[in-house]
Amino acid sequence: MPLLLQVQSVSKHFQLHIQNNKRIAALDDVSFKMDQGDILGLTGKSGSGKSSLMKCIYRTYLVNSGRILLHTGSGAVTDLASASEHAVLRLRQTEMFYCSQFLSVIPRVPAADIVAESLTRKGVSHADAAEQARDLLSKLGLPRELWDAFPATFSGGEQQRVNVARAIIAAPRFLLIDEPTASLDPKTKDVVIDLVLALKARGTSVVLITHDQHTLDRMASRRLHLEHGRVRELETAVVA
Amino acid sequence: MSSSSPTSAPAQVAPLNDADTGWLLRVRGLSKIYGEPISNSVQYTGPAHGTNICPETDAIVACAEISFDLYPGEVLGVVGESGSGKSTLVQLLYFDQQATAGEVQFQAIDEGQTNILGLSNQRKRHTRSNLMGMVYQNPRDGLNFSFSAGGNIAEKLLMAGNFHIGRIRERASFLLEKTEVPVKRMDSTPDTFSGGMQQRVQISKAIANSPPLLFLDEVTSGLDVSVQARVLDLIRHLQRELGVSMIVVSHDLAVIRMLTDRTLVMKNGRIVESGLTDQILQDPQHPYTQLLVSSLL
Amino acid sequence: MITATKFSQTYNFGFIDESTKKEIRRKLLKAVAIPGYQVPYSSPEMPIARGWGTGGLHATLSLIGPEDIFKIIDQGSDASVNACNLRDFVKRMTGCRTTYDTAEATLIQTRHRKPEEILTDKQIIVFQVPQPEILRRVERYEAKTRQMHAEADYAKMWVALYESYVKFGAIMLGAGYPVRVNGRYIMTPSPIPRWDVPNLSMAPCLHVFSAGREKRLHCVPPFTKVEPLEFEDVKFHVEEFRDIVCAASGGDKAFMDEIYESETSRKFVMNDSNFMDKVRAGTRPPQRLFTNPAA
Repeated sequence: MPLLLQVQSVSKHFQLHIQNNKRIAALDDVSFKMDQGDILGLTGKSGSGKSSLMKCIYRTYLVNSGRILLHTGSGAVTDLASASEHAVLRLRQTEMFYCSQFLSVIPRVPAADIVAESLTRKGVSHADAAEQARDLLSKLGLPRELWDAFPATFSGGEQQRVNVARAIIAAPRFLLIDEPTASLDPKTKDVVIDLVLALKARGTSVVLITHDQHTLDRMASRRLHLEHGRVRELETAVVA
Repeated sequence: MSSSSPTSAPAQVAPLNDADTGWLLRVRGLSKIYGEPISNSVQYTGPAHGTNICPETDAIVACAEISFDLYPGEVLGVVGESGSGKSTLVQLLYFDQQATAGEVQFQAIDEGQTNILGLSNQRKRHTRSNLMGMVYQNPRDGLNFSFSAGGNIAEKLLMAGNFHIGRIRERASFLLEKTEVPVKRMDSTPDTFSGGMQQRVQISKAIANSPPLLFLDEVTSGLDVSVQARVLDLIRHLQRELGVSMIVVSHDLAVIRMLTDRTLVMKNGRIVESGLTDQILQDPQHPYTQLLVSSLL
Repeated sequence: MITATKFSQTYNFGFIDESTKKEIRRKLLKAVAIPGYQVPYSSPEMPIARGWGTGGLHATLSLIGPEDIFKIIDQGSDASVNACNLRDFVKRMTGCRTTYDTAEATLIQTRHRKPEEILTDKQIIVFQVPQPEILRRVERYEAKTRQMHAEADYAKMWVALYESYVKFGAIMLGAGYPVRVNGRYIMTPSPIPRWDVPNLSMAPCLHVFSAGREKRLHCVPPFTKVEPLEFEDVKFHVEEFRDIVCAASGGDKAFMDEIYESETSRKFVMNDSNFMDKVRAGTRPPQRLFTNPAA
């Protein structure tokens, strides 16, 4: 399988100038490779650097040293750590999608529209996008009455459904997903897992953070274990 | 705990690549100084000195050494507190004020070969009406209150050479509808509208000629929260639909977070940090940015 | 007989001193060279108050020579009291012949009308203008209006016309309709009725517009294009006097005055009194008539 991602000696720390220049280490010399079509599960305790690593890949965090080489669909290789802002924005539009742990709520946009936006942004017609969005939300078990409601008042689980739907419907080439099944009941968890696996079957590569053993077992083809910001072990799991 | 290999702080302002093409707006070394500048005025002011005022001549360096690129379809946020120079920056770009120094190239004018700061008044006016749009914080700055809402939009259309009343009214109705202003109020003067509606009329006026570049200067400051949400929503929606590039000035990081892809952080007339908006908000590098972000309610 | 000679005065020809006349003529040349552009001028003091025709007198007295034949009308009438007083003044100051006959006059001063009869290339017509700045209605600052003219930024003027149409269903300007001269400057033709506006365009005579109170001169040279501002779908119209004939002369196709006879009846009389006299005498002079575009 061709390479998708090469993370080379990435280190990251935070310098808090306004708190007496406190230095907080996040990642220390992290290196690994990922092939296309992989689902890489990041594991480790809270604070071990999983989310930080994901954010470094997405360029939400700036690394202090190291390279993050992404092999794009066109065959070009870009170092996400040093690429220009414009280049990263383009990659976020065409290649990568980041699904954070919590839905960032934009006021006054109904749930179905939030999901449909991922498609309309790519040029899909409003009608088609709306239909697909509703379809997906119904699969995920979001009650019909909530489709046109504003997610600000949803419960954690309801927000999570919208959050995940938004990522899945985009069908990106490279998906970064943080705790996709948190706050979900076991049945919906499996729905989400199936949907992501369906994406993988169509060529999507995924980096996944999850505490849930069941999700990890079903989805991850490889695991990366982090401890105190360092790679502890990289293993290939057998997917059931 | 610490790694053996040396780590450096990431650049707070990414270096500019002049060889990069495909930009819509290129700004280099833009400055505005009021009063008597001396050769060192710029050096004695700025975030390191904590002041905009030159100690020797009392010249005010509103902004200096501003350089950035804007690409088509991008939304660039400019955030800073009072005196940061953020409003001055867009005023210079929109020709509301005359720059003291600097070069600005705009792809829509002479394919970016000319410094638009040196254009004749007539060409500047043409640029303002056809190629740029501006929405001010105070609707009275952007709208003529003695004309009706439709008349304000008509002004832009007339300046662009549309002299057919029927078509002007059609376009004005279309734009007002898009900005959720009731079309039956088209012939009323803006002083009869609420603040939020006045802003929306300003927005429809700004996009009347479908310009590739839009400036928004603190457009929701002073509006009630619910009204603010509606206006921001509209702006987001329009940006997605029209693909217009925007420069959004705000002191409110929440607005920046909602609307922009990239952000410039300004203090005392200089850019102290620039980066992707989510990076600025989640991993701010400069001490001032960290202060701003930590103050977000 | 005792003649009071001790305090008798002699006046310079045309009342105004030669240096000032020279200055006014220079400004007139500039105004002719830049059609429609408002040229500031000295506007010297006259023995009548501002707002009573001083500007018209300035232009007249600077241009008039001993051989000139002078006519002056006020809203079409030679016999109005102000026209008579100004006529007497010019006669006393120049000794020129005066006339009521439009064709005979070489220099015509007028308030708020252009004669119906076609003027030749041997005639000059001087219009009295109250407010030369056409943009004053939409912009109160002189500095700004000067800049607007310099940059040909007339958007506000157009919006005012648009607003008028939207509010009233028509552009409600009866007198002083804004015109574009020679494709460049927008100018007021002074408060002449719409009927007279098309007559300014491509005319053989020289039109001088003078505003004494505001101290501005502007000109429309002979054979210059003068276009009233209009939209693609809302065109310029002149007044239509449909089915109306002049009660005094029986003629039609001229600008009419409406006169109320009693509380119940009214009649129409041609406004241009000399023209009406000629029509009544059976010697109707040639006119230029404008046809309104189809609605």
